[in-house]
Amino acid sequence: MKNRRQHYVRHICPILLAALVAAVALIVQHHAAWAQSNLFGGPRPVAIGGIGGWVLARQAMFYQELAGMIRAARDNGSALWGLMGISFVYGIFHAAGPGHGKAVISSYLFANEETWLRGITLSLASAVMQSLTAISIVGVAAVLLGVTAKLLSNTVNLIETASYVLIVLLGARLLWVKGHGFFGALHDLKAERTGHAAGSDRHAHANCGHTHDASCNLHSQAAQVQNPVPAGISSAAREPAQFHCHGDHRHHEELEVLPWGHAHGPEPEQLAGPGGWRRGLSAVAAVGLRPCSGAIIVLVFALAQGLFWAGIASTFVMGLGTAITVGAVATLAVGAKGLAKRIAQKPIGRGGVLMRGLEFGAAGCVLAFGILLLTGYMASERMGLF
Amino acid sequence: MTPADAWLRLPAWTQFAVFVAALAALWPSPAQAHPHVWATIKSELVYAPDGSVTAVRHAWTFDEMFSAFATMGIKAKIKGQFTREELQPLAKVNVDSLKGFAYFTYATMDGVKAKGAFDHATDYWLEYDPKATVLTLHFTLPFKKPAKAKVLKIQVYDPEFFVDFAFAKKNAVKLIGAPPLCAAWTEKPDDPHFLSSQSLNKSFVASEAFVGMGAEFANNILVQCP
Repeated sequence: MKNRRQHYVRHICPILLAALVAAVALIVQHHAAWAQSNLFGGPRPVAIGGIGGWVLARQAMFYQELAGMIRAARDNGSALWGLMGISFVYGIFHAAGPGHGKAVISSYLFANEETWLRGITLSLASAVMQSLTAISIVGVAAVLLGVTAKLLSNTVNLIETASYVLIVLLGARLLWVKGHGFFGALHDLKAERTGHAAGSDRHAHANCGHTHDASCNLHSQAAQVQNPVPAGISSAAREPAQFHCHGDHRHHEELEVLPWGHAHGPEPEQLAGPGGWRRGLSAVAAVGLRPCSGAIIVLVFALAQGLFWAGIASTFVMGLGTAITVGAVATLAVGAKGLAKRIAQKPIGRGGVLMRGLEFGAAGCVLAFGILLLTGYMASERMGLF
Repeated sequence: MTPADAWLRLPAWTQFAVFVAALAALWPSPAQAHPHVWATIKSELVYAPDGSVTAVRHAWTFDEMFSAFATMGIKAKIKGQFTREELQPLAKVNVDSLKGFAYFTYATMDGVKAKGAFDHATDYWLEYDPKATVLTLHFTLPFKKPAKAKVLKIQVYDPEFFVDFAFAKKNAVKLIGAPPLCAAWTEKPDDPHFLSSQSLNKSFVASEAFVGMGAEFANNILVQCP
């Protein structure tokens, strides 16, 4: 019992502390905006001071320089290099604002067992897809059909709504999967506390509560190779819809020293195999479907200048810049997840429950973002006056 | 010891806290909304003979990129030049859309916020400057109840900050038919170095026709009448 209390102090308190730090950082960040807005009686939710203000000012500057660069490129081919440079830097700053999938992608990464490389790939893929969407929309609507700005804006709104629906679906699915893991682990912990589970069942539970899709199945198969398992167990393990597996007793000692009773990071098969990359693609599609309003306006402006191709190049380079910012956030999310895992590593019961709770929470965040965006409570971008 | 070593020596939970704090700082908040439309404001305040304010007349000039975006797909007889008639449907779209955002214009009379002070916009049209390739939207916002106020404040801003407003550098405010000794000026609401009380005293210069303070980034119009 004493041992457990030590675990608690050493491993769980730091996580709570870190969560507190995060909460404070968030409050400070938002409070800066609130304080600004109330200073002069007007509800102006924009902090012009501080880092946010600096980013905003840079962003506005680069955006307005883009216009000049596109115009210059019409007369002077060498201005194209300048245009590419400005587009790239603008993309980096621009993505600091909402609407580029930072929240969804980082929550998604935190909820899942993902590598840094995959986080970066997802960020890049969604940024490239956002560029492609913007180019396709302007290409079809403006170049081929010659529609008005209002019609184009309506089209963009429709696509945005589809993107938000996808985010809701992604969140709901994640929540479902992570919910199983979390409540399963919670159930086991309760069982442990009441002293019911005499070792065998609960560790196997902890093992399989950590199920992403087919991992339960995979893991049990791995266990089968290592240890000869009674027939009844393997049949249960072959039932992927059932998130409970009944492991064998001999495996239990080995499991005890492993985090969550689940020894390994993501199995390569798990990432690349069915449900792996495809699962990531669903996040990319949900985020990338929504084009960036800035890119659309730049494209239309370039078109008006008779330089649509320069607009296309600029949009792609902008996307690269965006990917850097989103990738940075993704890196933090993956890093935080890895560290949290390390911190909560030892106590197999509570640490595991806590981690699954965090994953569950992150999944809930994805769902919440989707719902807020869909219901319009969280505006990401507006095209102005249409 | 290199910084990397120092970092690695930190306890895992400290590293975690740093990661999470950085993540929180980069997390998109509504305050990080970014505008894609820049509008330069010139406004006139119209007064009735009895000294009550009856309307605000806005002229907002949009940036080049947004102007190009807004005019896409509009047929012009002469390429690159749009007439007022050709732009009228777009002006209607803009004004109808602005209705949903309270025309981004808020009035405060003698310190009391006048909610829903304005009627629907009238006399609206768009003007295209072919040289600067920019659009200017003109419209009039009549007060529902014209009233006299010792201190009238008109604020122009987009709460969600998708449109960034700024006063024109010259002649941003004009009083039309205001009682003599009324003075108007503009304020910079977001300049951290701006001290409202000081500048109130300094800039309170009586004028009959107009006072444009030439403030670069401001969106409070203040009118003081005796």
